[in-house]
Amino acid sequence: MRRLAARWRLRSLLRAAAPLLLIGLLAGCMLPPTPATTTAKSVWWLYLIVFGMGAAVFFAVEGFILYAIFRYRRRDDRLPNQLHGNNRIEMVWTAIPTVIVLIMFVVSMISLAEVEARSPEPYLEVEVIGFQWQWTFRYLDGDTDPSNDYSVTGAPGAPPTLTVPVGKPVRLILHSDNVIHSFYVRNFLIKRDLVPLPNGRNNELELTVSEPGVYAGQCAEFCGDLHAEMTFNVEALPLAEFDAWLASVQAGGTPQPTPSPGTTTVALVADLLAFNIHQIDVAAGAPFVISLDNREAFSHNVSIYRDGERIFFGDYLQGPATTSYQVPGLQAGEYTFICDVHPIPGMTGTLTVE
Amino acid sequence: MATTTLAPRFGAFRRSWVWDWLTTVDHKKIGILYIVNSFLFFLAAGLLALVVRSELAVPGLQFVNVQTYNQAFTMHGTIMVFLFVVPVLSGFANYIVPLMIGAPDMAFPRVNAISFWFLPVGGLLIFSGYLVGGAAAEGWTLYTPLSGAAYAPGYGTDLWLVGLTLVGTASILGSVNFIATIFKMRAPGKTLFRMPIFVWTMLVTATLILLATPVLAAGMIALLIDRNYGGSFFDPAAGGNPVLWQHIFWFFGHPEVYIVILPAMGVVSEVLPVFSRKPLFGYRAFVFATIAIGFLSFSVWAHHMFVTGQVFLPFFAFMTALIAVPTGVKMFNWMATLWRGSISLTTPMLFAIGFLTMFLIGGISGVMLSSPPIDFHLQDTYFVVAHLHYVFFGGSVFGVFAATYYWFPKMFGRRLNERLGKIHFAMHFIGFNLAFFPMHELGIQGMPRRISDYSATAGWTELNLLSTLGAFLIAASILPFLVNLVATFINGERVGDDPWEGNTLEWATSSPPPAYNFDVLPPIRSERPVFDLRHRHDAEHLAAEPHPPGEGEA
Repeated sequence: MRRLAARWRLRSLLRAAAPLLLIGLLAGCMLPPTPATTTAKSVWWLYLIVFGMGAAVFFAVEGFILYAIFRYRRRDDRLPNQLHGNNRIEMVWTAIPTVIVLIMFVVSMISLAEVEARSPEPYLEVEVIGFQWQWTFRYLDGDTDPSNDYSVTGAPGAPPTLTVPVGKPVRLILHSDNVIHSFYVRNFLIKRDLVPLPNGRNNELELTVSEPGVYAGQCAEFCGDLHAEMTFNVEALPLAEFDAWLASVQAGGTPQPTPSPGTTTVALVADLLAFNIHQIDVAAGAPFVISLDNREAFSHNVSIYRDGERIFFGDYLQGPATTSYQVPGLQAGEYTFICDVHPIPGMTGTLTVE
Repeated sequence: MATTTLAPRFGAFRRSWVWDWLTTVDHKKIGILYIVNSFLFFLAAGLLALVVRSELAVPGLQFVNVQTYNQAFTMHGTIMVFLFVVPVLSGFANYIVPLMIGAPDMAFPRVNAISFWFLPVGGLLIFSGYLVGGAAAEGWTLYTPLSGAAYAPGYGTDLWLVGLTLVGTASILGSVNFIATIFKMRAPGKTLFRMPIFVWTMLVTATLILLATPVLAAGMIALLIDRNYGGSFFDPAAGGNPVLWQHIFWFFGHPEVYIVILPAMGVVSEVLPVFSRKPLFGYRAFVFATIAIGFLSFSVWAHHMFVTGQVFLPFFAFMTALIAVPTGVKMFNWMATLWRGSISLTTPMLFAIGFLTMFLIGGISGVMLSSPPIDFHLQDTYFVVAHLHYVFFGGSVFGVFAATYYWFPKMFGRRLNERLGKIHFAMHFIGFNLAFFPMHELGIQGMPRRISDYSATAGWTELNLLSTLGAFLIAASILPFLVNLVATFINGERVGDDPWEGNTLEWATSSPPPAYNFDVLPPIRSERPVFDLRHRHDAEHLAAEPHPPGEGEA
């Protein structure tokens, strides 16, 4: 009977210890991704210090508990010494966590000052615009006309790329006029929310990427149905390459579409998650215009598909607003037009080209 | 008062037991109603968690669409926090606190009944969103503007707000009742510093509820006005501010964390001394640490909002780090209670030790998150999901099961089967760590929370699969528990009034206690009157004992 009890004890101890051992092994790989900005390196080291302190506390306390429940198992009916407390030792162990958290607070503040530092003259300013459920990156060129700025907008399954130079401070102006999103690149070890604030205020984030490469980013604040698909990339190019890239895209610009006279215009209204018409007829080979009136407070667009292949992509339109899409001439046949943001029956229709 | 339950009944008319339970104002029956009701919501919210974990097991959307997924994690969080963890601990407190202080009932038995009956009604209102086109789907934090009328037009969010306001009202009424009971209903000799720690933690918890919940109620009504009656508290276009909602939510939400953890700490502080056969080490320090946590919990709310760019970081980082100090003191007290004890690893003790080891991890990850630069990386990732589950589940839920196994013999006169209990604990403990420990690593690698899908190339697949297996192991661990309940009710071991050699007054009455609780009370000269009674002839130990806490205050 006694032996059985002893074996039971041993087994219960092993059961308790096995996950702890597993935890110990896993702790070996609990390090953040390789830092890719100058400040991320500081955060990476801060993490290592804090994690190290936490791991030390963890192993000390767990070790103590395991030892105690093993060593001081009830063996007979004798009462152990009824110790109620000890003021001196209690003062000591109030001081221990106080010292630990004060050290942690001080090193955190030192790192925070580096992370939050702002350069007086950033090399590049990009407006990061979040909407449901993609991003627009608009390169501010310094003049007052926003329409001639180069910008790139993502589409579902086609995340946009934010191209930045290596070694130069880049200021991101984080703007949302819909729900809250969060700009997060894991190798930068930082995120910042895009909050629709009153009076046109925006959050800002400044980064200096230190290693060339392509880094995956993603919206980190839950923003509705397709939150998981709000991904993007950041591509860091060496400075000369970046300058050449920016000059070429800015020369090309993003021309504003203007409908040429004489073409057919199809008026489409998007409201209550549905288009007003679900059948469009146009002539084969002739370019036409779709004017979209988005009456809702979120994004819609119109794209044209044939047999599952996208023939035409219309830019996302954050409502309420209107826009006109220039559609090139199409071959005769049956097409589908659809809102890529809401591919539901109400926002789908048939386009017949004859 | 007790006279309520002693009121003469109508003639020879015998009421059915159903009617008896539906109309009861006895704190013990209401306590059991609380616990059963909470457990049913726990099962429902647990099933929702399995929906979420199944979908995340491998990349791609296999089982549900994004709308169902978003509703599942929203309802899982809401129900677990507001309709399981908080009320189940209130249920135990309802049953145990009057017994622990030698009172015949709660101060306001009828208020006690109504504050229970609001819960199932509020909970069903929140769930009824599923019947009218979809439940709330904005996460349990319901951040604006996503929860505004423009982006969440369905009725689910309105029902969430109305139902939760009802649940909050129940909490407020309950907390008033606890405070009045603890201050006014203590037996002669039961001074404040002779109260069991569980009563102390409930006193601080009730105070936190009373101060924090009305703030959330006001916020929820403001959001309801924004959504339905043209208000603009949180609408930036009309001069409102969506960050205001976050301030209101977390001004409630962080004390809420202590509302769910303090009673569980109280349970553990009752269980550890009994099964170590020693008094709690540093009783007074523990009480002061509890009160300090209560105060500090109102100055740390914005650490949930570091990445909004709208809060003063050093203050909230400092206060958040500081709250680790009283928590650390408690951990040392528990460790010293085990030291040189006479330890029996019964099922309640295993769950209490499980609490110590798991809550420690939640505490450490919490201190890591208090550092703003680290939080900038880890906020809104699975690291936070891991952290909050180590606190809520590894902390509070382990405390709930410790309380269940510990007080079951008091409530029903029978002890739950120890072997099945240990199987339950082992499956629960391993499943819990399997489900939630990998989430730390996922978060450190940058997996955001609340995503319905992730890329197969992100390197998150294996850990997610492991986590899903753990979630199903936790679900499976409920089976031995349910079998144990049924078997014990049919043929459980009858164990008398005091099977564990308890310390506190509830063990001085019969199991289950009579409607008026006590025929006779033992003399109360310390925080352990039943221990004193048991060892009153044990001169050797009493002589060796220093002055018990509370001496000289009677």
